[in-house]
Amino acid sequence: MSKVEKAKYTAEAQAGFNHRTAMEEAARCLLCHDAPCSEGCPAGTDPGKFIRSIRFRNAKGAAETIRENNILGGSCARICPYDRLCEEACSRCGIDKPIQIGKLQRYAIEQEKIFKMKTLKAPAKKMKEKVACVGAGPASLACAAELAKAGYKVTVFDREEKAGGVMTYGIVPTRLPQKVVDHDIAQVKGLGVKFVLGKKVKPAELEAFDAVFVGVGLWGAKIPSIKGTNLKGVYAAADFLKQARTKKAFKPGKKVVVVGGGDVAVDCAVTAKLLGAEDVRIVYRRTLEEAPGNMTEFQYALSLGIGITTNMAPSSVVGTNKVEAVKFKGRAKVTEKSELKLEANTVVFAIGQGAEDFSNLAPVKLTEKGMVKATAKGKTSTKKYFAGGDIVNGGKTVVEAVASGKEAAVSIIEFLQKGVK
Amino acid sequence: MAVKKDLSIKYLGVDCENPFFLSSSPVGGCYDMVAKCFETGWGGVFFKTVGIFVADECSPRFDQTNKEGLPWIGFKNMEQISDKPTEKNFEYIYKLKKDYPDKVVVASIMGSSDKEWRDLAKMADQAGADLIEGNFSCPQMTSHDMGSDVGTNVELVEAYSKAVSETTNIPFIAKMTPNCKNMEEPARAAIKGGAAAVSAINTIKSITNVDFENNTGMPVVNGKSSISGYSGAAVKPVALRFCAQVMQDPEMNKLLKANKKDFGYGHEMSGIGGIETWRDAAEFLSVGCRNVQVTTAIMQYGYRIVEDMISGMRHFMDEKGYNKLDDFIGCVLPNLIPAEELNRDFKVFPKFDNKKCVGCGRCYISCYDAAHQAIDWDEKKRRPILLEDDCVGCHLCLNVCPVQDCITTGEIKWKKGRKKVKVATKQHFD
Repeated sequence: MSKVEKAKYTAEAQAGFNHRTAMEEAARCLLCHDAPCSEGCPAGTDPGKFIRSIRFRNAKGAAETIRENNILGGSCARICPYDRLCEEACSRCGIDKPIQIGKLQRYAIEQEKIFKMKTLKAPAKKMKEKVACVGAGPASLACAAELAKAGYKVTVFDREEKAGGVMTYGIVPTRLPQKVVDHDIAQVKGLGVKFVLGKKVKPAELEAFDAVFVGVGLWGAKIPSIKGTNLKGVYAAADFLKQARTKKAFKPGKKVVVVGGGDVAVDCAVTAKLLGAEDVRIVYRRTLEEAPGNMTEFQYALSLGIGITTNMAPSSVVGTNKVEAVKFKGRAKVTEKSELKLEANTVVFAIGQGAEDFSNLAPVKLTEKGMVKATAKGKTSTKKYFAGGDIVNGGKTVVEAVASGKEAAVSIIEFLQKGVK
Repeated sequence: MAVKKDLSIKYLGVDCENPFFLSSSPVGGCYDMVAKCFETGWGGVFFKTVGIFVADECSPRFDQTNKEGLPWIGFKNMEQISDKPTEKNFEYIYKLKKDYPDKVVVASIMGSSDKEWRDLAKMADQAGADLIEGNFSCPQMTSHDMGSDVGTNVELVEAYSKAVSETTNIPFIAKMTPNCKNMEEPARAAIKGGAAAVSAINTIKSITNVDFENNTGMPVVNGKSSISGYSGAAVKPVALRFCAQVMQDPEMNKLLKANKKDFGYGHEMSGIGGIETWRDAAEFLSVGCRNVQVTTAIMQYGYRIVEDMISGMRHFMDEKGYNKLDDFIGCVLPNLIPAEELNRDFKVFPKFDNKKCVGCGRCYISCYDAAHQAIDWDEKKRRPILLEDDCVGCHLCLNVCPVQDCITTGEIKWKKGRKKVKVATKQHFD
C-alpha cells in the first residue's frame, strides 16, 4: 500500500542534518585528492573543501568556503540538480552511493545563520565607478556580490517588490523556503549593494552607471498555440507559481493539470496539491527518461499523490469561459493512437519561459528568440553592457546563473579597469 | 541448523559454561542485573567490587570519545566501587549462587588495610563465591589506600594477596592496573603473595575531552572534573599488549608451581579491555587468556551482545576446525617476537586493483605526505601508479584505501644480498 505524504505549502519538505548526522555523512566522504565534486560545480562552490572542513569539525570554515564561492549557497543547497552535477561526479558512487553534498551544504549555511557569521566584507575604500544590475535574480545577485567584493558601488533594480527573481517567485517553498532566499540576499545587502525594487528601471536611469549587467531572466509566458488557451483557468507556470507565492488566498482549483516535464512543472503540481487541489496530474509529451526534471522531484511529487502521465501532448483546452477539460494526443510513432481527456479547472503550461520585450532597456543585440546575445564571459554587442543567466542561456539552473553572473563580474571589472570589452 | 561447539572451559578449577563474563563494574551491581545477564547467556560475573568503604559518587560520572560521528570509541568512568552496604552485596552474591548454581560468581573485593582484605575474603567465602578477585586497579578511588595506587605498589599487592590467600581456599585473582611501567612485576608479586592468577586491564587514567564551556575536563561536576579511567574499543590494543606480555613471562608459571596454585593450565589469565564481539574475545584467548570480561560494550548495547559472542565464536571455531577453546588459546603467543628478531630482508609491494579503485587518490596523498613518494597519480584516469624503486613496502596505502580488497598484498622483493626464504604474508583483509 502506498503511503501518501502530507506536507504544508510553506514548510520545507526535507529535514536537514544536525551536527551528528552531518558528521556521519561527512565521514562517508572519501576526501579525494582531486575532488571531482568540486570540478562538477558550475559556480565553483568547492564541495571537496567544505566537506573536509565539516569532517575536521570546522563547520564555520565550511560556511566560509561556500559563501565566498557562491553567494547563493543557501538556496543552491536546496535546488541544485546535484544528481547531474557534484553528486554524479562523486567518487563514492564507485562504492555505493554519493555523499549528500547538497544536504551538507545546507547544514554549513545553517551554521552560518545560527552563529550570525558575517563572512563577506566589501573593502572600505570604494572604487569610483558605479554598476547597475538589472533584475534581482540569481545571475544579477551573483554579479552584484562579486563587484561589491571588489569595491564597486552596485545598484540592483527589479520591478518586483522582493528580490530573488525566480527563487522568490518561481519555486515552491517546500523546496526553497523564502527565509533561505532572504538569508542569501541579506549577504548581498551586507556587501553594501543597493536595491531599488518595486518599479521598472528606465533606460535614462542606467545612463548614470559606468557598466550595466542585464540579468532580467525569462518571464514571458509560453503557451502552445492550441485551441482554448484563452479560457479562464489557463496559466503559464511562472504566473501560476508567482500568484501562489504572493496572493494570500490563492486557490489553485480542484482539478489541476500541469503540462511539462521539468522541475518547474513539478513545482507547479506540488504547489497545486499543497494548496488544496484534489486531483493533480503532470502530463509530459515525452518519456520520464527524456524529462529535464530531477528524478528526486518527480519522486517527491509521487509521494504527495500526484500522478504522472508521459508521451501525451496537449491538443486543446475545452470549456466555455472557464477551463473544463484538457485533451491530449499521443506521441508520433509511440502512442499516436492514444487519446486522453482530463477534467480540469486549471491547466498550467510549464513548457519553458520566453523572453519579454526589453528592446528599450538596453541597446544590445538579441537572438531570434529575443534573448540577449552574449559570450560565455557575459560580454554583449555593446560597450558597457553585460548579460548573464536565463536571458542569455535560454533558461537553465540557478547555479548556472550564479556562474554566469560571476563570469560577467570578472569581465565588468576588466572593462572598468582597462576599458577592455 | 546453528553450529554447535562446546564453549565450556575450566578456569582455576571452576567449570564455566562459556568464557564470557561481566567485569566488576556498574553492569553487575545487584541481584536483578546479574540474574538478567545470566538468563541472556553470560557464563559468569565478576560482581561489582565490594569494600568496607562504601562509595559516595559524583554526578554526572561518564563521558565518551567519538570520531567522525562514531560514538563510544572510548569511554570514561568516574564511578568507584559499590555504593551499597557491604553485607547487602554479599547477600546478592549468596542468592545468585543459590539460584544459578551453574553460573560462575566471582566476588570482587577491595580493602584499605590488611584487616579489611581479610574480612572481605572471609565474607566472600561465606557467601559461597566461586572465586575472588582483588581490585588493585580502580584509578578513581577517593582514597590513596585503595585502587590503582595499591596496584602500582608491589609490596602492597603481595601483602594483600597474601592476606586473602591465608584467609580462604577460594582461588584469588589479582586485577592489574595498566597505569604502570610494566605489569610483570605486580603480577609476579600477586602470585608470590598467593594469588592463583591475574586479570587485566582495569581502566587507563585519562582526560577524554575538554569542555570549553567551563574550561575543565569531561564530565563536568560543578564546573570541575577529575582524571579517571578510560575503557572501551580504544583501549583494546593496550589491553592485548599487557595480557600477552604477562602471559609470555616465564616467571609466572614457576611461581605458580612453587605455590601449588597451578590448576593444570599454567597461568590462567583473564582478559579485559574493549571487548565487544566474539572476535575481540577470540583475540584475548589467542594471547593466552582463558576468559574475557566485558563492561563498556554492555553499557552501550546491553547484555544481549553475548548472543552474538556465543554464536560468532562457534562459527569461528567451526571455520577453523577447533572443537574446544583450548585448541586455540595462546596460539598467537609463539608468533609475537621482539622487534629485533623480525625478518627484515625483504619488502612486500602493494598490489592495486584498478577495476575496484574509485579514484579517490587517498593512497597517493598519504604516500606523498607520510611515506616515500612512491605513488604517482594519473590525473586523466584518476588511478595510482606504483613506483617500485621508491616503494618501501610499508603498506600505508593499503591502510588508507576506503575500498574493500582494492589494495592488497603484492610481490615480494628481496633486499640486495639477503637470503631468500619462504615468506608468510597476509592475504585477506576485512
